[in-house]
Amino acid sequence: MSFLNAAMAVLWKDLRTELRTKERLSTMCFFALLVVLIFNFAFESGNGSLQSAAPGIFWVAVLFSGLMGLTRSFNQERENDALMGFLLTPADRGAFYLGKTAANAITMAVMEILLLPLLAIFFNIPIAEHILRLIPVCFFGTLGFAAVGTLFAAMSINTRLQEALLPMLTLPILVPSILAAVEATSGVLAGEPLADLAQWLRILVAFSLLFLAACLLLFDYVVEE
Amino acid sequence: MPSNLRQWSLALGVLSLIGMLIAPYMALVHADVESQMLLAQKIFYFHVPSAYGMYLGFFLTFVFSILYLWKKEKRHDIWASCAAEVGLLFCTVVLITGCIWAKPIWGAWWVWDPQLTLVLVMWLIFVAYRMLHNYSEDPLSSARFRAVLGIIGFLDAPLIHLSVRLWRGQHPNVVRAERIGLPPDMLQAFLFCSIVFIILFTAILIKRVSVEKSRDELESLKAYVRDRRTILGSAVQN
Repeated sequence: MSFLNAAMAVLWKDLRTELRTKERLSTMCFFALLVVLIFNFAFESGNGSLQSAAPGIFWVAVLFSGLMGLTRSFNQERENDALMGFLLTPADRGAFYLGKTAANAITMAVMEILLLPLLAIFFNIPIAEHILRLIPVCFFGTLGFAAVGTLFAAMSINTRLQEALLPMLTLPILVPSILAAVEATSGVLAGEPLADLAQWLRILVAFSLLFLAACLLLFDYVVEE
Repeated sequence: MPSNLRQWSLALGVLSLIGMLIAPYMALVHADVESQMLLAQKIFYFHVPSAYGMYLGFFLTFVFSILYLWKKEKRHDIWASCAAEVGLLFCTVVLITGCIWAKPIWGAWWVWDPQLTLVLVMWLIFVAYRMLHNYSEDPLSSARFRAVLGIIGFLDAPLIHLSVRLWRGQHPNVVRAERIGLPPDMLQAFLFCSIVFIILFTAILIKRVSVEKSRDELESLKAYVRDRRTILGSAVQN
């Protein structure tokens, strides 16, 4: 089985489990909705501060619910030693990482698609007219998060703190990506053309590709028995 | 080898003790009072050298983490985690002295200046590294996880630097002490303090490594004694 076939098999397995149960996606979406609402209560609405905070709130909701989804994605591999089963096959371990990362990124993307209209309604932002320019920002922001998060999720389930350690490992590393995603999203929502946001996009692309490659190489050492 | 390390740490320890006794004289008496920042500038002789120690610590963690994943030798893991620990200590000193300096000069304990933000994020990453150290179950997988985080954290540094620079790019009027051309007396004091801090860093690091190696040796001796007891115990029973 070639590398890509193995990765696709893992991806397809994850997506199919998710399609049948929908437990990750539903909890992630509900949690993201709660985060958005809590921020709505925490900020004074009506004086425009909520609108300017919307990109930050969106990414915080995505990050927190994404972290929740990541933990689930590796907990289910631990049940019945499914991960061990995969490691015993001759398939490349990098393929497992790549499939997992793709599955996590896709799950998060679906959640973002559901969250954006809600954001538009609650915060009264015309997202529909900016949606095309928002796609590259969301794509690379989510890819960077999934790349780093999948590696650290595989690490943190093997520690005593389990999922409690995941945000502490992931969030500091994600700082450049979060910063770039929030700034680029604000720019897009303010109607700036993508060319003006090139520097932020460059950081997002560099972050996601660098860590996708680095984590792919390092994943072998994380799951080694 | 251990006795060798111990001698090294003793020699460097004595050297850094002498250096640290002279350093305040160099910083406070030998170097002139700076005309604009007055006495607040004096902290620069301790702040910047601590930052060198911090960068050295994080760089060594990166190098030894790669060596550990490559060669799988325990001593590389010991060096990497000790370098991270001492680096974290120097990083904390950098943050605290930075705050003390910022209060009279910038009027606030904390300003979201790119340099400060970078150091803060690196501090967070290496605190996470310590947590990974403390909360792991299996020592072998824990060493691998640490190495992975050590590598990723170091790779992240340029991107953090770039993004926070861009984020705070609209505040160019930040006066950095390093950019001002230093008169000879200040330069001498600064170089002296830098060398002393590097020696201090090395002395603490080597001491820490030798303690960790002794602990490791003790653990294996304990395991050995336990094994012997079990063997002897079963022999007596038979």
